[in-house]
Amino acid sequence: MKLVRDVLDKQLIDREECEMGRVSGLIMHVGEKSQPRITYIVIGGETLWMRIHPSLASFAKRLARTWGPKRDGPVRIPWSRVETVGRDIKLDVRGRETGALDWEIWIARHIIEHIPGGGEKGEEEE
Amino acid sequence: MVGDAWLRHTTPDKYTRQTLELSHDTLLQIADDLLKSPPSGIDTASLDSVLTRSRDRVAQMARLVEAKDAPSFSSQLDSLRADEKIVKQFSDSIESRQ
Amino acid sequence: MSKALQIALGIITSIGGFLEIGSVVTAAQAGAAFGYQLLWAILLGVLCLIFLVEMSGRLAAVSKHTIVDAMRERFGFPFFSIVLLVMVLVAFLVLVAELGGIGLSLQILTGIGFPWWAIPVSFIVWALMWRGTFSLIENGASLLGLFTISFAVAAVKLHPDWGSTAHGLLPTFPGDQKAKYGFIAVSILGASISPYLMYFYSSGAIEDEWDESYIPINRVIASFGMSFGGFLSMAVLVAAALALRPKGIDVDKYEQAALLMTTALPRWGFYLFGVAMLFACLGAALEISLAIAYFFAQGLGWNWSENLTPSRDARFSLVYTIIIFLAAIPLVLGVDPIKVTLMGMALTAATLPLAIVPFLFLMNDPIYLGEHRNGWISNSVVTIVILISFVLAVISIPLQIMGS
Repeated sequence: MKLVRDVLDKQLIDREECEMGRVSGLIMHVGEKSQPRITYIVIGGETLWMRIHPSLASFAKRLARTWGPKRDGPVRIPWSRVETVGRDIKLDVRGRETGALDWEIWIARHIIEHIPGGGEKGEEEE
Repeated sequence: MVGDAWLRHTTPDKYTRQTLELSHDTLLQIADDLLKSPPSGIDTASLDSVLTRSRDRVAQMARLVEAKDAPSFSSQLDSLRADEKIVKQFSDSIESRQ
Repeated sequence: MSKALQIALGIITSIGGFLEIGSVVTAAQAGAAFGYQLLWAILLGVLCLIFLVEMSGRLAAVSKHTIVDAMRERFGFPFFSIVLLVMVLVAFLVLVAELGGIGLSLQILTGIGFPWWAIPVSFIVWALMWRGTFSLIENGASLLGLFTISFAVAAVKLHPDWGSTAHGLLPTFPGDQKAKYGFIAVSILGASISPYLMYFYSSGAIEDEWDESYIPINRVIASFGMSFGGFLSMAVLVAAALALRPKGIDVDKYEQAALLMTTALPRWGFYLFGVAMLFACLGAALEISLAIAYFFAQGLGWNWSENLTPSRDARFSLVYTIIIFLAAIPLVLGVDPIKVTLMGMALTAATLPLAIVPFLFLMNDPIYLGEHRNGWISNSVVTIVILISFVLAVISIPLQIMGS
């Protein structure tokens, strides 16, 4: 598998066929005597912006702490939860339990559902 | 052209009046620009006089649309066409010098 | 729905959705200033667009990726973020122009100035996005856009000299006003080859769940739909050449463009112009708003679909909400939509290489297209487009200054 071609920036889909974001980065374990292996998929803000410039990553981190669903760091999904790598990467997880959909849920609850016609409360969780 | 269109009843009064008012403002802008940097070898005073007269006619035409006075409007339109020919002569003269 | 019906609907919506403020204003300016001389620019723009739209549909049908999807995956986030920034900025300008076009149409029909219409118009565009489905937006707005066929009727009724018209399809150089000629040519190409149209089309193919069996349909829709749409653009130019040029009218104000219908259609021409432009710009505003939201959602991996209730694709819905109301602000402040239109068209032309170069790579990538990769004809046309757009990019900005 070619990590950059087949994994990085690929769309992530959870077990309920929900789009969970894209692979922003990968964490690999490099052992002294073993082959490097992927341990986590990283989704989210700072990791993504770090690929452009560290200052953007710092800004994203500060923003995440002051507004919206306050998170400590990007979302990490264990590589063991990857089911298939094809057109998309299918994960054996429920997206909203991983934190990957925190922003989606926060915006739905705090903004969208307050606008008439936006949808019923809790609909974003269905 | 909007004058002809109004006389033929192909454009509504409000639109015609607003377009004429817009033309008036455009003529004012053109006159200001010409005064700031007048083309050489041209009788600027005469050109300015024609533009001012045209501008006044256009403003009058806008008022005549409001009053729905087609005959007076038509007369002003004919005079405006005559002014237009004079302005065209100035324009051709400027172009031939460039 | 049977395939034949889908083809018919696809062609009709392409025709109805083709004209918008950019294509009408640039074609009207071209006709009023240079007669038939710039018909070649519309022909070239439409030809390029046919290939690009066909490719957009093919990419979606075969790879099940939209252009934005594939671009993010293939080129990575850093490059994608540059494309995102530039494309969204330019599309935003065009959105301001389209909302302004709706406002100007209402202004000439009611006499109430367009700044007053900015907020109500934005609200209506937003409400249609909020409550509507993709089908309603794509088909409904485009069907209403069929009022623009009245431009073709007007052009034919003015009895053009078909020989001179045909001559205009070949590029010629003007005797004088070269800067203005060049600038209008650039603007026509920018108005015809709109990247947002490609992004919208590929997203629509995914929304409609196209697969490889849709490839022939896609080819027919792209060819005939864009061709007929292009004829409408040419009709505007011809009508302006016959109605406005003899009177020495230079279309630098929207009000003047309205007069291109009154000579040919004395009774209804004025109102047809207003109504046709209103619906044409409405359709375009909806498409661009969706295209911008698609760009963010697909590029960043969010849930997206116009067929979901907003709370189910909250970030996607929030993006188009913010964009639409931000676009109203310049109009409320009285910024001239025509000036924004011309700037938007020139900037579109200037930034085409950024949109098309990555697209060309994608269309030749076997991972995405398999055996349906581009042939030499498609590659040649796209390469020529890239070359033309690069030249346009170099000359369009100084021409913008000289021409305006």
